[in-house]
Amino acid sequence: MTLLRHLVAAVVAGAVIWAASVQLNAFRDFQMAEIAVYVVAIAGLSMLIGLSGQISLGHGAFMAVGAYTAALLMLHLNWPLWAVFPASAVVTAAAGAVVGLAAARLHGPYLAGATLMLAVALPSLAVQFPGVFGGDQGLSVTVTTPAALGATFPPTRWLAWVCSLAALITLVILANLARSKVGRDWRAIRDDPVAAALAGLNVARLRVLAFIVSAACAGLAGAMLAITTSLVSPGSFTLSLSIALLAGAVLGGLGTLIGALWGALVIVLVPTYVTDVATSHGFSGGVAANIPIAAYGVVLIVVMLLFPHGIQGGLRRLARLLLSTPPARLGSPGQRQPAGELTEDPNAPYRRPPVSEHQEEGTS
Amino acid sequence: MTEFLQFTLGGISFGMVYAAIALSLVLIWRGTRILNYSQGAMAVLTSYIALTVINHTGSYWEGFVVALAAGLVLGALIERTVIRPVENRPPLNAVVVTIGLLVLIEGIAGIIYGGQYRSFPTAFSITGLHAGSVPLGISRNDVFVAGAVLVVALALAALFRFTATGLRLRAAAFNPYASRLLGVRVGRVLTLGWALAGLIGALAGLLVSPNTFLYPSSMDSIFVLGFTAAVIGGLDSPVGAIVGGLILGVVLNYVGGYLGSNLVSIFGLIALMAVLLIRPSGLFSVTRERRV
Amino acid sequence: MPDQAALVVEHIESGYGGVMALRDVSIRANPGTITAVLGANGAGKTTLLATISGFVRPRQGRVALDGTDLTRRAPEQIVRAGVAHVPEGQAVITELTVEENLRVGGLWRHGPQGRAAALADAYQRFPILATARHRSAGTLSGGERQILVIARALMASPKVLLLDEPSLGLAPRIVAQVMSLIQRLRDESGLTVVLVEQNARSALAIADVGVVLNVGRVVVTEDAAALAADEALRKHYLGF
Repeated sequence: MTLLRHLVAAVVAGAVIWAASVQLNAFRDFQMAEIAVYVVAIAGLSMLIGLSGQISLGHGAFMAVGAYTAALLMLHLNWPLWAVFPASAVVTAAAGAVVGLAAARLHGPYLAGATLMLAVALPSLAVQFPGVFGGDQGLSVTVTTPAALGATFPPTRWLAWVCSLAALITLVILANLARSKVGRDWRAIRDDPVAAALAGLNVARLRVLAFIVSAACAGLAGAMLAITTSLVSPGSFTLSLSIALLAGAVLGGLGTLIGALWGALVIVLVPTYVTDVATSHGFSGGVAANIPIAAYGVVLIVVMLLFPHGIQGGLRRLARLLLSTPPARLGSPGQRQPAGELTEDPNAPYRRPPVSEHQEEGTS
Repeated sequence: MTEFLQFTLGGISFGMVYAAIALSLVLIWRGTRILNYSQGAMAVLTSYIALTVINHTGSYWEGFVVALAAGLVLGALIERTVIRPVENRPPLNAVVVTIGLLVLIEGIAGIIYGGQYRSFPTAFSITGLHAGSVPLGISRNDVFVAGAVLVVALALAALFRFTATGLRLRAAAFNPYASRLLGVRVGRVLTLGWALAGLIGALAGLLVSPNTFLYPSSMDSIFVLGFTAAVIGGLDSPVGAIVGGLILGVVLNYVGGYLGSNLVSIFGLIALMAVLLIRPSGLFSVTRERRV
Repeated sequence: MPDQAALVVEHIESGYGGVMALRDVSIRANPGTITAVLGANGAGKTTLLATISGFVRPRQGRVALDGTDLTRRAPEQIVRAGVAHVPEGQAVITELTVEENLRVGGLWRHGPQGRAAALADAYQRFPILATARHRSAGTLSGGERQILVIARALMASPKVLLLDEPSLGLAPRIVAQVMSLIQRLRDESGLTVVLVEQNARSALAIADVGVVLNVGRVVVTEDAAALAADEALRKHYLGF
């Protein structure tokens, strides 16, 4: 049974994480929590893009919604963590529903542009209502380690535990969703929305559902981010965050959950490492800080051009090569056309249709 | 009333910058059906290059010309290397690649020039103009901004309508398959389209950087608003890009002036969503007949 | 000399998407003749033309014009060697006017003066286009579009004209007009034509040579009149 398999995997992973967290120092525990945050956010985005074929450049904004929700609930209502996390997810899911409804009819670049606008515009809401959202300074969040663990229990380890647990639960849910009928329906509308509609699928509803799920993940990740960094401010949710999430999803492998782990690892670990290396080689702080940014760009371009299936896809291909199993159909977007004798074939599987065949470009 | 006049005129000037970005987006969209998310970043880079030249030579106009030339080269280079492979693949690939370019170019700008806000010179004086004793709210430079974009747009229109190159650009954009059958070197034509878009984008950067100061991500919000303007006008319509830019510029200036500058991007979002939901093909799109 | 100005297709194996539509096809089109390529749907006729004009690269075989090897060259180069391909479905550029469509056809070949002359020539030969010259090409009827695409292809003064199902979707009366136009082109200009058609009867009526393709192979190469007269062959492969 799929659910059982996923639960077992989660338990095993949980055990490994627990063991590691005890061994690692405080900073590494903190990074573990950070990684968990991004795993959740990237997994949601990766599902949206890889399974349902919709793109979002605004997931940073959803994280902001979740983070602010969490901060407000904890500050004003003193809600405990186990209630705050689901609440943040639900509130952000509602936001995702609104965006999804608006976006259900949009395709490709139009959708990307609209979500981009969202990412740019939403942080200014916090500044607009400083009384509620704390303006530019933001809101500070405190998390206390439960007394049951003892007074000397390192708070970062508690964060690592909480975040890892949340991440594992999310991954199990997503894994089941991906294997369920909903997941198959998503793939269908991704690959050929017209055929899917003809087969009776409600394309718009599925699209909105994908946005809801993906936004919920981002909201949860935002709440997790709030407790790890203890501060929620507009500056944490800039466009760069949305782009980093996209980079993580693409690099890890769109549509795969393990890919979310690879992507999160890269996003959390690589930039500080690169900056350290750069500074130790004599580059100034400003330059060194920009190198990871430039590197994201290179990653996005190179991966899309040469390895459209990301790390996970590369690993799968490697495994296939080593085990000599017949090639599985990965079926994620960005798949190349069959190479070979083609120069330009008018009847090939994907052809950008001539302008005159389109009535309304951006909508279905 | 004076305030309204000032906001209107100022909005026109700003709007022309959005129009320029929109125009370059439309140019690329028509030719390759790709939305170039790095258009703003490209403009940042060319503006930095202009600034370097200006500081070196002391001449604004030298920097101006070099920036435009750099825009041409940059556009052509990007199309030939990074865009060509994704032109015939699903749209997601192009979106990710151009986002990657956005990030890469901004990162490179940060590495070479640093992240601090730099002031950028204007072509003409920025003292307010007056009609008699009424302050108009715009300066000579603002008039130059509007005029420069208009001139470039008209030149482009002339290129398209009256020259063989323009005919090739249009044919390749409308029907690349038929054009190839007729011997049009579609690849070269597309490169030219991107080069021209790079030039227009560079112009936009030069015109707006004095207002926003120049730093690696200074064109991010301008780009988003330029995209909104293009959508309002219709991604296929160069005329729509200009009109959309003007409308957006003026409306947003009212918002900024009467309601506060913080609300501008939110309003832009509302405007974008409104257009996308009500009339997604934009104001000026020609409803195309279906192929027989 | 038998090889002069002849289009030669030798042992072509070609296709796309992993399916070889043509297995071993050899055709020879002599100068100033109309070669009709016939056969059922899926026989590989369109792939043949696409291979000749460079849109599909053959896995094996050779395409040559006037002794010049054209195999595996880019479409732009093949066009400049003198091959004009008019695809099925009337690839009219609907957003441009009739005159602009024509002008695009002559762009690579002529300088400004040459273009004006070629344009005048086209209007003289096809008066119906002259009356419609400033109309958007999208407003033309099916028959008018077919004439436009042929005229457009002729703007570059090609040596060989490849026509893919010009009769598709046209009323019988218009089909007759188009066919007689093609015949006139051969008679008056000595143009070499390769005519792919499903309407075998009309095609054979004007052709010099008939070639029948079946599942990617040539099954018959025959004088057109003889082919039309051979009842058994006609019924078996051509359906009439």
